Amino acid sequence: MTDPLAIFPLGLTFEAFTDIDFWTSVGIFAGIYTIFALGLQLNVGFTGIQNFGQAGFMAIGAYSMAILTAEEGMNFWLSLPISILITIAFGLIVGLPSLRLRADYFAIATIAFAEAIRLIALNARDLTNGAQGIFGFDDSWDSISESIEDFIIDLGWTDVPGLFPLFLVTWGIAVLMMFSLTRVQGTPWGRVLRAVREDEDAARALGKNAFSYKLQSLAIAASIGAVAGWLLAIQLAFVVPDEFQPIVTFIGYVVLVLGGLANYWGVAVGAIILWTVLEGLRFLELPISETKIAALRFIIVGLVLIGLMAFRPQGVFGKREEMVLGD
Amino acid sequence: MTEAPIFEAEGIEKSFGGIRAVNGATMDVKRGSITALIGPNGAGKTTFFNLITGFYRPDRGRARFDGREVQGRPPYVIARFGMVRTFQITKALAAMPVIDNMMLAAPDQPGESLRNVLFRPLAWRKREQEVHEQAIELLDVFNLTRLADHYAGTLSGGQRKLLELARALMAQPRFLLLDEPMAGINPTLGRRLLDHMQRLRAEDGVTFLFIEHDMEVVMNHSDRVIVMAEGRVIAEGEPQAVRSDRAVIDAYLGGAGHGGIE
Repeated sequence: MTDPLAIFPLGLTFEAFTDIDFWTSVGIFAGIYTIFALGLQLNVGFTGIQNFGQAGFMAIGAYSMAILTAEEGMNFWLSLPISILITIAFGLIVGLPSLRLRADYFAIATIAFAEAIRLIALNARDLTNGAQGIFGFDDSWDSISESIEDFIIDLGWTDVPGLFPLFLVTWGIAVLMMFSLTRVQGTPWGRVLRAVREDEDAARALGKNAFSYKLQSLAIAASIGAVAGWLLAIQLAFVVPDEFQPIVTFIGYVVLVLGGLANYWGVAVGAIILWTVLEGLRFLELPISETKIAALRFIIVGLVLIGLMAFRPQGVFGKREEMVLGD
Repeated sequence: MTEAPIFEAEGIEKSFGGIRAVNGATMDVKRGSITALIGPNGAGKTTFFNLITGFYRPDRGRARFDGREVQGRPPYVIARFGMVRTFQITKALAAMPVIDNMMLAAPDQPGESLRNVLFRPLAWRKREQEVHEQAIELLDVFNLTRLADHYAGTLSGGQRKLLELARALMAQPRFLLLDEPMAGINPTLGRRLLDHMQRLRAEDGVTFLFIEHDMEVVMNHSDRVIVMAEGRVIAEGEPQAVRSDRAVIDAYLGGAGHGGIE
């Protein structure tokens, strides 16, 4: 399942496109990709490290939570912080040797890491149940979700989509993260990150331990990836290796480019544009087969990106000066 | 005269492939001096800077700053000791405003630690205020105040050079190593820069070691000159004495052959 969109049930009728359930689901994916790409923004946009392994951190977060809960019988809520710690540990293990590499080699190292994680998930069947995946980790979430649903029904909205509580929680987390990251970015700590992005040697010559900052940036991005991983797992109600293909990271980069580098709010805009265009194009009624329409949607997204590069290369929220002066 | 030198290097060596770029460089820098490091192109001056500031690791030799060994230490540690350098090719942080370039360099900012940022969110603000004032003062000295909010990448070459020096001063160095600070600056600004060096030496006791090719600047503004050629120190002393040193004249005429020492 290389196409992350294929998770939507096939054969939707036209009525489904105006269906609020459908758009709630799209909104959740936009939110998950917002969170996912916030980690990339911290690394790429603010620290200048090309992390191409974000899907791997997402996988570790999702699998840790699912394994601890469904297989080890751990409390769901306890599994969340522990899965974050596990993901951070992996971030450090990846970062310690590879952040000393030149930027392009680091990108290759991270992509290899993410693929290694996916292949381990596929083959270490005792731990991960292989391609069958893991189910049954989300009972605690379901009861919370029902309480939120009841609360909304009490407020007077009687036909709440079943996924609406997840939509609320996903975007609640996304907004909270954007707000916190923007705040932290405005501190002296954030200033050092930008200096490392601009010129690592200059930062070192001014007494900044550039390596330590890059490692911190990677560890935080990894933990953000883990949160995106939980939400994806809850949305799908299962965790399988195919959800963590490298294309997930690449779509994260598309979100980043659309929204603009070095702006956290832009990430949400990029994710919403991407998912609205991708899913909205299901409305297309053309005398061609469904698989061709599916392919056409990606072609159109590609054209949107080309148009953006031609007319607004800094993305929707990016600053043109920062892009031009960046080198 | 009896005071210990602020900086001593002994037998520093570094080879790249088969080429020995620095071949046993030994020198002392007197505390509170403005010392010029000169020599023909390829003499190993910049490489020597990189070796003593942690950017390269010497193959052999020792370097001490104010009693502490510095060879083999990472650059950021050496900078925190108070031994701060600038670069021959300026490293302005282009996509950051001038004022952020300056404030970045200030030492002892607790807000640079993530722990403080998360758990003591107000602790760094007072320091930030001080740092901002200092930055504006220094920008004033170099006529850069009106550019404070511009991206550093929009500055001219000469302005970047000044920014880099001002930024290095923000780090509150006790020993400042400047790699061709005058190159590309107009003479008026160059004079300001030299005056400011004199003032810093007089008021704060800052020691300077600067690489320079302009002999007029070297002769008139330094109190000691160290001459490097082919990776070693071939002469040192007062400007006038070095000027007439036979080995120095030979090195310049025989080495690069581009006009020699003025």
